[in-house]
Amino acid sequence: MVEKALNPFDAAQFQLDRAAEWLGLDLPTRELLRSPMKEHQVLIPLRRDDGTVKVFRGFRVVHNDARGPAKGGIRFHPQQTIDTIRALAMWMTWKCALLDIPLGGSSGGIACDPHYLSLREQEQLCRGWVRQLAHELGPRVDVPAPEIMTGSHHMLWMLDEYEAIYGERVPGFITGKPVGMGGSVGRVEASGYGLVFALREALKELNVAADGMTASFQGFGNVAQHAGRLFEQLGGRVVCVSCWDQKEAIVYAYRKESGIDIDALAGITDRFGGIDRNKAEEMGYEVLPGEAWLTQDVDILIPAAVENQITEEDVASIRPRVRIIAEGANSPATPAADKIIRERGILVIPDILANAGGVTCSYFEQVQSNMNYYWEKDEVLGKLDVKMTSAFHNVLKFGKAKKLSMREAAFAIAVARVAQACKDRGWV
Amino acid sequence: MILPGPPSIPAFDRNFFTGQERFTAIGRGSLGGKAQGLARMLSLVGGTLAASFQPDIEVCIPTLTVITTEFFDLFVKQNDLTDKALSDLRDDVIANSFQKANLPAQLVGDLRALIAQVKTPLAVRSSSLLEDAMFEPFASVYATKMIPNNQLDADSRFRKLVEAVKFIYASTFFKDAKNYIRATRHATADEKMAVIIQEVVGLRHGQRFYPHVSGVARSHNFYPLGHAKPSDGVIDLALGLGKTIVDDGVAWSYSPAHPQANPPYNTLDDLLSQTQSEFWAINMDSPADYDPINETEYMRKYSLGDAEKDGVLRFLASTYRAQDDKIVYGITEPGPRVVDFAPILKFDLLPLSRLLRDLLNLCEDALDRMVEIEFAMTLDEQRGRPAQFAFLQVRPMVVSAAEVELRPEDMEENDVLLASEAALGNGVREDIRDIVYVKPDKFNVHHSEAVASELEGLNRRLQALGLPYLLIGFGRWGTSDPQAGIPVNFGQISGAKVIVESALPETSSMLSQGSHFFHNITSFRVFYFSLSPFDKHRIDWEWLSRQPAAWEAEFVRHVHLASPLKITVDGTAGRGVIRHG
Repeated sequence: MVEKALNPFDAAQFQLDRAAEWLGLDLPTRELLRSPMKEHQVLIPLRRDDGTVKVFRGFRVVHNDARGPAKGGIRFHPQQTIDTIRALAMWMTWKCALLDIPLGGSSGGIACDPHYLSLREQEQLCRGWVRQLAHELGPRVDVPAPEIMTGSHHMLWMLDEYEAIYGERVPGFITGKPVGMGGSVGRVEASGYGLVFALREALKELNVAADGMTASFQGFGNVAQHAGRLFEQLGGRVVCVSCWDQKEAIVYAYRKESGIDIDALAGITDRFGGIDRNKAEEMGYEVLPGEAWLTQDVDILIPAAVENQITEEDVASIRPRVRIIAEGANSPATPAADKIIRERGILVIPDILANAGGVTCSYFEQVQSNMNYYWEKDEVLGKLDVKMTSAFHNVLKFGKAKKLSMREAAFAIAVARVAQACKDRGWV
Repeated sequence: MILPGPPSIPAFDRNFFTGQERFTAIGRGSLGGKAQGLARMLSLVGGTLAASFQPDIEVCIPTLTVITTEFFDLFVKQNDLTDKALSDLRDDVIANSFQKANLPAQLVGDLRALIAQVKTPLAVRSSSLLEDAMFEPFASVYATKMIPNNQLDADSRFRKLVEAVKFIYASTFFKDAKNYIRATRHATADEKMAVIIQEVVGLRHGQRFYPHVSGVARSHNFYPLGHAKPSDGVIDLALGLGKTIVDDGVAWSYSPAHPQANPPYNTLDDLLSQTQSEFWAINMDSPADYDPINETEYMRKYSLGDAEKDGVLRFLASTYRAQDDKIVYGITEPGPRVVDFAPILKFDLLPLSRLLRDLLNLCEDALDRMVEIEFAMTLDEQRGRPAQFAFLQVRPMVVSAAEVELRPEDMEENDVLLASEAALGNGVREDIRDIVYVKPDKFNVHHSEAVASELEGLNRRLQALGLPYLLIGFGRWGTSDPQAGIPVNFGQISGAKVIVESALPETSSMLSQGSHFFHNITSFRVFYFSLSPFDKHRIDWEWLSRQPAAWEAEFVRHVHLASPLKITVDGTAGRGVIRHG
């Protein structure tokens, strides 16, 4: 049971099944939504810097594009599997639907560890991935974006390859590009800020002020850093963050009760979100085992790393003080753990809502790129806030009306919208 | 009654017009002085006072939300603007830098939500922290921007609102504001700005939007002219937006105790030449130029003819009948219009004067000091009543901190340069070392235009050096008749902080007592001394001529003193004295 639950695609299908059951969806619709509509696996041979050739496996999965062109990230990760990609694509479908963005869901990536690849090698992998899949991608088909261990420079290499193949400039092909090269201002902050916008509304719902609230983060990448900064501006205090230590191949948690200086800590962090342990100790941080992020006596937990990090085994270590879990990562809690969290009365801002800021801003970038006209940051973040806040309150209101948890309500809204789009198109 | 402090203001819930609250705040910082003042008056204005004027006048505080000062701090910090803001860079350079910067992330969502549901004009006003901390007026020190907010798409409206907020932030660091802060012995670095976003009360007529009446009411009148007493207070009214009064110095000024009395113009010609001839309105059309750092980007002046076409003048104006050389009430016959608010003030169309007296008393009680309020009003377009009265602002009046009481013997001492029993203003000034005077032995009314020209040049130089001065001349300042005095406009002597008008050496004509300039004198708090030929006090010309000249021309002499003059005006007794020490 535990092994099965740790497969992200199983978890995603489990969530869908529950929503479909509650919605009373017919069997063909369930069948259509349970699996991706398209899947591609490709092999990408790479001549490495030392002259040897290594073959990498690449993926692209479109879960559903009934509501618009598919949209999804490209992840570089050594433990990449097709099931992870399938799950990510499905969650992306729900996120876009929940935020009412006219896009479908997709995902992709390459099973590789960029820690051990030079920039040239990474560039060649990016270009190879596009060459293999160009016919399945495009601004009106499927639009990639950065994800774990990919960034704006990867997107630009991919764009350049795509444009070389088609012989035209197509800035709307991909999002997450560098600002000034078709990227949108606010895109970098969007995932973290979007999470805090939802968190802010959750605090209002609990009738507590953000002042003095404490939080512990799993992960110290882009989402955690920007969410942490905005959370502090609201009056909150981040007391613990955890991250992967590449040298020691282990996760550590870094704690400072008086509050973490996010800018200072970011200054000793590598591009993958790994904190320099020695420097952190010199700066007065307590270095704890990685799982310590979950056991902190804080008001808010923010898992912002990868899937299945809160399991049935360790969920009991969550302290009684915790009132909110804002899921910055996709499916950070297994279904069994999620059930226990719900029973404890902790308000969960589910992943498809909490971390939808990234895809929302990706959508904004795509709109800007297609127009080749770019907005000011105030406009981007203003729209993002309104989208996130509105989605949060839709979920909250629906959940209260139907006596559903936030997660159930979010999935019910999203799945219903996608199912309706499939019906409207006459697919089912 | 002194209120303990402003009530706690509910948080903006993203429903500007449709929410339960009409006075909300975004953020946890200070509301700033202007918003604090309104918050203090919130319950009082909406209580029995409002009820007692219904159904003739509906009294309200227009819907507003305040961006508290915490966002100003964040904005300056996150965009690294401190050095630039505190530098000596030009205002437009600072304003442009602020435009390029980004508003804090947790603010823009509220602004976006607000603008998505509001499609009527908005006033974006400053509300500064020092204004509150010092409990002193900062009227017109910082910017106010009016935006039409009528674009079809929310993106455009949002951009204009954001530009306006950034412009207000930038105005904290404009030169005039820095000078003012310095003069009040504070540091600009300590200043923080809250921003009020408020519904504009008015009506749309074609491509213009404006209130029918704007006004400033003061509970004490330190410039009483005619029959008015200081304690009566004084009201300035104008057609259109209040900018006409506050910045242009044009208004129908009257005592609420004598609403039917005309302002003390000397002749009908004076009245006609100084009555309001244009009015400010929000331009609902596309502006001529995109200029986000221009306070009046969306404001335009229109002629009285436009207001007449809009059908609003009939409740506000009278007509000059040339054949009889008199003013006739109403606008039924052709002729030059005089914006004298006669239907309201003389024929009681609306109980405005009574409302303003009650409101001034209420505000004085609440703030425990002399007050100044700003308001705007729209009238029923068909019958003139009922009207909507919008209470826009309350602030303490500028009154010198010093206790001023002049006894007759104080005006007789040896070091008196001049004294007057007919002085306007109130307070003490000890910052003036410069005296500009028209040489008594050279002055002749035939040369008064040449005198005006010399004064203008000298005024420009002294202003450039930042030197306020005492101005002494003969006859009526600002008269249009060169035979009656010196025909300057206020801009030509705008650096004068104390003005003395002495009777013409060769005549015994009555002095103007400042009536030509009274709006400017009042607005700029100039001390004004009148010396009639029958006055027992005399100017000590001999002492003055002994002082070395810093500059001298044919008619005008400029003296720069080693130590400042001590200038005292007792506004209650109407006495003033200038000592050279």
